[in-house]
Amino acid sequence: MSETRDRVALIVGAVLAVLLQVMLAPNIAVFAAMPNFVAVYALLVAIVRPTTSGPVLPFVLGLTFDLVSGGPVGAMAFLLVLVTFLASRAFMVLDNDTLFMPLVIFMVGMLVVETLYGALLMAFGFDAGALDVFIYRALPCALYDCAIGLILYPLAARVLALATPAQPGSPHLR
Amino acid sequence: MALNFQQNGSASMRRVLLVVLLVASLALATLYAREGENGPLHTVQNAVAGAVAPFKFAGAAVDDATSSMGDGLADLTADETSLTSLREENQQLRNLLSQADEYKQEAERLEGLLNLKNSYDIDGVAARVVGKSIEAYDQFITIDAGSADGVNTGMTVMGSSGVIGQVFRTTERTADVRLLTDSKSGAAALVQSSRAEGIVRGSLEGLLYLENIDETKVPQVGDVIVTSGLGGSYVRGLIIGTVVRVDTAAGNATGRIVVSPNDTAASLEEVLVVKSLNSEGALGNTAQNGGNANASGDAGTTDGDGDATQDGTNDDQEGGETS
Repeated sequence: MSETRDRVALIVGAVLAVLLQVMLAPNIAVFAAMPNFVAVYALLVAIVRPTTSGPVLPFVLGLTFDLVSGGPVGAMAFLLVLVTFLASRAFMVLDNDTLFMPLVIFMVGMLVVETLYGALLMAFGFDAGALDVFIYRALPCALYDCAIGLILYPLAARVLALATPAQPGSPHLR
Repeated sequence: MALNFQQNGSASMRRVLLVVLLVASLALATLYAREGENGPLHTVQNAVAGAVAPFKFAGAAVDDATSSMGDGLADLTADETSLTSLREENQQLRNLLSQADEYKQEAERLEGLLNLKNSYDIDGVAARVVGKSIEAYDQFITIDAGSADGVNTGMTVMGSSGVIGQVFRTTERTADVRLLTDSKSGAAALVQSSRAEGIVRGSLEGLLYLENIDETKVPQVGDVIVTSGLGGSYVRGLIIGTVVRVDTAAGNATGRIVVSPNDTAASLEEVLVVKSLNSEGALGNTAQNGGNANASGDAGTTDGDGDATQDGTNDDQEGGETS
């Protein structure tokens, strides 16, 4: 029963993230910076549930983002699978039961996702300089994502952590 | 012991799954990059774009809601602080007034488009902007006119005073328009006064740059830039914008020439998809210097020094008609 509720919570969150990306993100863009709700959600899940989160959710979310956004299909899926795995492992190793560590891992993860996404786009033919891509897109978007993540983290920690039985290594909101 | 075994098994399965999904996503990305526009992944992506369009319509409503959120909150506070019928009535009147103001603004925008259409003798389709790109690297808008309305890939799209982009994807009821400011955009252009040809490109900064210009004909600040129609990508003779910065000198075309677009997507709610132009457009006016291009109503004139004329004189026209 708990497992079912757990799964439903994850899926509902994922659907909400995609809907927010399609309906809200374009309308709250600040200059060139647009939040990536899909990446934010995938990373939050990886950090909030480091032991139980697998690679399927970030893969599906990333693929959905690629198909909906018009970007290279597979690029965001690859990055989310890779970075969420690294983030969950980093959290399991570095967690010190404070709010500081998950947020630092989240922010570093978002910066890595946005920077590598820009690099992948360039590798697939996006005609722009690496510095321009970083300064005008990756960095502003990562900062925006971090702001969104800081707002959503307490909610994610409460809702998603409640859905799973308490176990050693699970994050605590302090 | 059994639990440990299960965890180890689960962990190794997860690692295998991780590697499989990483390889699969890389394979998809490689396939996507190598296949053509009609490849299976592009086809699926276009189908998904069509399926997502209704959510973008809803997103446009969200946009309206967020823009009026501040007003709404203020109104809500007012309702709470006073419960007299007079204030409620006042509130209703205010709502009606703001609604009327919205209609007025919409009518003015549509009138601008109509003026533009009449001035340039444009055969086109008016459409509403119902969505925007959902990732930061693409700058496109979605409009509520598609192939069923005669909108096809490659058609030029205008705001009320200038070119804003080009249709690059259509569904039956919607079309996606890549904005001129997108870094993937490029339009063959010419300086209205000197007829110097170049290419206007978008950039990540959101600025338009005029490139590949003749070294002997470097434009001045205030020169109007129009589409040249070369290459057939954009309809010839439509105003793009005005030169606002020239970081180069005659004989040295390696610097940067910045063009300020007449229309920006941020303020767009209605657009005009140009099917054909039955006149010379902005090229049908005399050469001019200084001031900003103003295609709304009095198409093709400039208002800077007041020396612009609109006598319909055709200068040394280059190339053919509308491409």
